[in-house]
Amino acid sequence: MSRRLLARASARHLGRHPWLTALSLLGIALGVAVVVSIDLASTSALRAFERSTETVAGRATHQLVGGPTGLPDALYRELRLRPGAPLAAPVVEGSVRATRGDRRPLTVLGVDPFAEAPFRPYVRGETSGAVSSLLTEPGAVLLPATTARLLGVGAGDSFEVVVGGLTRRLRVVALLTPADERTARALEGLVLMDVSTAQELLGRAGRLSRIDLKLGSEAELARLREWLPPGVEVIRPSARGGSVDQLTRAFRTNLTALSLLALVVGMFLIYNTMTFSVVQRRGQLGRLRALGVTRGELFALVLGEAALLGAVGTAAGLLLGVLLGRGLVGLVTQTLNDLYFVVSVRRLSLEPWTLAKGLGLGLGATLVAALMPAWEAARSAPVTTMRRSTLEDVARGRAPRLALLGLLVLALGGGLLALPTHALPPAYAGLFAVLLGTALLVPWTTERLALGAAGPLGAAFGLLGRMAARGVRASLSRTAVALAALMVAVATTVGVGLMVTSFRGTVVAWLEASLQADVFVSPPSLIARRGYSPFVPGLAEHLRDTPGVAASSTIRVVQVSVDGMPTDLLAVEFAQGPERPYRFKEGAPDTVWRELEAPDTLIVSEPFSYHRDVHRGDTVRLPTDRGPREFRVVGVYFDYGSDTGTVLMPRSTYARHFDDREVTGLALYAAPGQDVDVLVARVLARAGETQTLNVRPNRALREGSLEVFDRTFTITQVLRLLAIGVAFIGVLSALMALQLERAREFAVLRATGLTPGQLWGLVSLQTGLLGLLAGLFAVPLGVALAAILVYVINQRSFGWTLQLALTPEVLAQAVLLALVAAALAGLYPAWRMARANPALALREE
Amino acid sequence: MGGGKGLALGVVLVLAGLAVGAWLVTREAAPPTPSGNLEVAEALGGTEGSEGYARASSPRELRFPEEHGPHPEFRTEWWYWTGNLETADGRAFGYQLTLFRNALAPRGVERTSEWGSRQVYMGHFALSDIGEGRFHAFERFSRDALGLAGAQVRPFRVWLERWSAEGTEGAVFPMRLSAEAEGVTLALVLEAGKPPVLQGDRGLLQKSAEAGNASYYYSLTRMPTRGTVSVGGREYAVTGSSWMDREWSTRSLGAGQVGWDWFALQLSDGSELMYYQLRRRDGSADPFSAGVLVPAQGEPVRFSRDEVRIEVLDTWRSPRSGASYPARWRLSVPARQLMLDITPAQADQELSVTVRYWEGAVRLQGTRAGQPITGRGYVELTGYGDAPEQPR
Repeated sequence: MSRRLLARASARHLGRHPWLTALSLLGIALGVAVVVSIDLASTSALRAFERSTETVAGRATHQLVGGPTGLPDALYRELRLRPGAPLAAPVVEGSVRATRGDRRPLTVLGVDPFAEAPFRPYVRGETSGAVSSLLTEPGAVLLPATTARLLGVGAGDSFEVVVGGLTRRLRVVALLTPADERTARALEGLVLMDVSTAQELLGRAGRLSRIDLKLGSEAELARLREWLPPGVEVIRPSARGGSVDQLTRAFRTNLTALSLLALVVGMFLIYNTMTFSVVQRRGQLGRLRALGVTRGELFALVLGEAALLGAVGTAAGLLLGVLLGRGLVGLVTQTLNDLYFVVSVRRLSLEPWTLAKGLGLGLGATLVAALMPAWEAARSAPVTTMRRSTLEDVARGRAPRLALLGLLVLALGGGLLALPTHALPPAYAGLFAVLLGTALLVPWTTERLALGAAGPLGAAFGLLGRMAARGVRASLSRTAVALAALMVAVATTVGVGLMVTSFRGTVVAWLEASLQADVFVSPPSLIARRGYSPFVPGLAEHLRDTPGVAASSTIRVVQVSVDGMPTDLLAVEFAQGPERPYRFKEGAPDTVWRELEAPDTLIVSEPFSYHRDVHRGDTVRLPTDRGPREFRVVGVYFDYGSDTGTVLMPRSTYARHFDDREVTGLALYAAPGQDVDVLVARVLARAGETQTLNVRPNRALREGSLEVFDRTFTITQVLRLLAIGVAFIGVLSALMALQLERAREFAVLRATGLTPGQLWGLVSLQTGLLGLLAGLFAVPLGVALAAILVYVINQRSFGWTLQLALTPEVLAQAVLLALVAAALAGLYPAWRMARANPALALREE
Repeated sequence: MGGGKGLALGVVLVLAGLAVGAWLVTREAAPPTPSGNLEVAEALGGTEGSEGYARASSPRELRFPEEHGPHPEFRTEWWYWTGNLETADGRAFGYQLTLFRNALAPRGVERTSEWGSRQVYMGHFALSDIGEGRFHAFERFSRDALGLAGAQVRPFRVWLERWSAEGTEGAVFPMRLSAEAEGVTLALVLEAGKPPVLQGDRGLLQKSAEAGNASYYYSLTRMPTRGTVSVGGREYAVTGSSWMDREWSTRSLGAGQVGWDWFALQLSDGSELMYYQLRRRDGSADPFSAGVLVPAQGEPVRFSRDEVRIEVLDTWRSPRSGASYPARWRLSVPARQLMLDITPAQADQELSVTVRYWEGAVRLQGTRAGQPITGRGYVELTGYGDAPEQPR
């Protein structure tokens, strides 16, 4: 038979149920869109960061870096005045926040225009007389045209920025318009200025962030190394970009995995659509075989249909993914800003690789899902004797075997999860195995349950109840798939929901325990969870003396590089009197505190210990201002503030190894009977105009921290909603297909006297039963997923020990969701069936 | 089939809608057109904004050694050394070391960062390796901050990173010059030689008609020099004679003046001749051009432009910039019975730095009062290299 004729038959079949076809297209499109958008959003954010790092690093071959406060100016002079000095350029880098436009963080790049030429060629722009202004005028800056557009300012205009609670005024002396688009984009969010202005703006007079170098040979590098004073290191600029990649890998892997869940649900949907189309055409397929169409041709026919659906759906999915991604990139950068570092770029960069992956995933998933139905189509006997009942008998007979296979897959998944490793991919493979294994158990369980439900339903709703239950069992080949899809979708939302609430519960308990002081004071910081901004000199001491303060502790947070990874170092001056608010995973508090008195000891947070396999008794090497030093770890404390891990030492130890007097945070304990709100007001009054400070009572800080926490999980919630959306569409189309397919059966029932109302009741009962079953199945699976997420995936991603909390609301929500989706899905078929003319329906086939 | 058509139409519409949406959210603004350059040299030697600076408007007594130090109240200032050197076996070198100071603002602002500064230094260092016919030129910038560059009288020191001139044991002379760049080094000791020659009217040299368009200018015209030069991986012990020019001003060139030709010639009879002519846009010499003849002993004699005849005998076209420079001259001062043929020691001595100019060693041949005379010197030609790019 001609290929064209077969293709026409396919097209006609797809066109006969436009709404079903449209729903499956939508399902594929949504699945692909979610994956693509997440990928685009997170790679865009990361690329943007890398690109701006590269641009800022320029053509330096090496960089000199120092301790947490950078390098002294004098080092640059000595370097320049050395015989055979390498090409070198001083850099002061930092972040400020704009008070205009979308108030985004801006990267401050302070350079010496006279040393720049070999490093950052874009530091050339339209700038008559700009150099004079840059050097002599405090607050004079060069703005890349892209940044200027964001802020809505032009050459000659002034604008304000906020840095560590201080408002500073900057004047644009000229705009930079780089020659190529790539550089222009990388410069977005950058503010260029002279070293002097940058030091003054960031409050770092006398210190450089780094010195960029161009070294010609290894020999030159070796000579330089010999000369370097202790505490100064030569690194390659690429080391920075790499550590960012590492820093956020777990975060991004989790996003990708969550987005893949949406695609898995989409696959069930495609499988369902294709199975339905094959089952419905069994007569036609049989006739085609009788006419001489080969098995191979039938196989190709079904796969071809799937490929067409897949192609259209994926195309729509890619486009939709770009749209969604545009929305998500803001959420992703917000989360990165809250957790890790400052990214100012919010543009979507269309990575061809991401789009190709989306295309491959969409088409691949469709074809894989269509394999089984295509194979079934190819098996069609050349006669039309392949009756529905026979098919269902086969399906029922297969159910126990599938269940066995499911158990095997579950066991495999369990094995994968139990592997003693810190790697994430096996954990995710295990998670997907658990999903698949459970889905395979569905047909058999459904059959058993439906059989068992016939009695009670019969008792409650009479004949119709029994018919509904039997109907589920009689059309197991379809109901099972729809059920499995619904179950996976609902379970996913249960799992993610439980994980987030468990996480939140743990953090709440931790905040409760660790926020003991009454008032917390800190200069505002650009990264919500980190406070790097210092107090202006003397202010912290002044505030500690506020009347009504019984005791106080200070903290200094700086970033140091431990084994090439940026790590927060906390230097704490503990309050005299109140109990220290730390709980230990390793080490008894009394011992730890005593041992911490020694000058070369510190404690590390749980994620630090987990990721780097460092435990009590081990040593950690820190770059100090006196050169690298070994510190003994005397304890591991619980901390949910940073997933990269932190190290903590008493201020006295810090002072011994670092030349840094700054304080970044203050915790005040109110004297007995002192009203906290009064104390807050007093602290604010004492700070006056010197510096804008966040002065928060205990309760407000806790709420603020939880707000940040919730914000970082916004994207997870969005993904959860998207997965629910895909699931909902899947269930709608699966159940609708199921009921529409039974048009003839219903017509017979109508002809034998069933009223439209009764028919409506029958359909509703059946879909309701399916919904209830799915909801019930989803609960244990959801709990299992939550356990995997909490105990395996989060532990491995972030290194945190979390307490799994089963919240009844989430579970009830799940069952309700399934019921509502099922009920909605039954509405249209029931309405249509009830209205249909039985005679017409009977004639149809 | 109605459903099928509807479906196809719907799918096409949705795809089109999505495509438009995707295009809308990802479209780029037109790539910006590059414009302009951040020329660090623009910070040096502009002519605008001279308000607030001291002006060279009347002669004043020049006192030494104070005048060897900086004059920060003026906009620009330079320490300029050139010289011809020779090894014992006759291998010849020419050198130029110049440190320019330029103020970016008439007054400093209180800054907390030590990087804040209103003074910038530019350095030019060139070596003419006459034996090899090679020319090495380097340029360097820095601000007067953190000790990276600066100038002071007590003890005498002018420096830009590792390029410097320093006095010895509290005195300005003997003066030590040192510079190094990319394997070319210079380490010389300069004696004062003759006392300073004050140019123009007691050291005030009028450059154009407008009052204050003048500079304070003195020269040390024959400084016995010894030291070492390294180039091509070898060090050469050299002796010779240097010339130092010191000039400071706020505003010098007038409207219509595009550059100058400057001759610093040391004659074999122990006298020196300095002559400069300011060139106008039409190529003619400005009336404010002038010169001085320093006899072996006794007072210098000044002469004006009318007393000098200068004839360009040849030109050289730079393969690098395409600029065309005069390359051989016949200079005569009839009143002094002096006639000199001036020939570059090598053609290419063009400094291809932010301000392009030619500055090179020259050889002299001629007669004085009928007697044959020889000599060596340095010639500076500015405003040729940048001419094709005018107007800026």
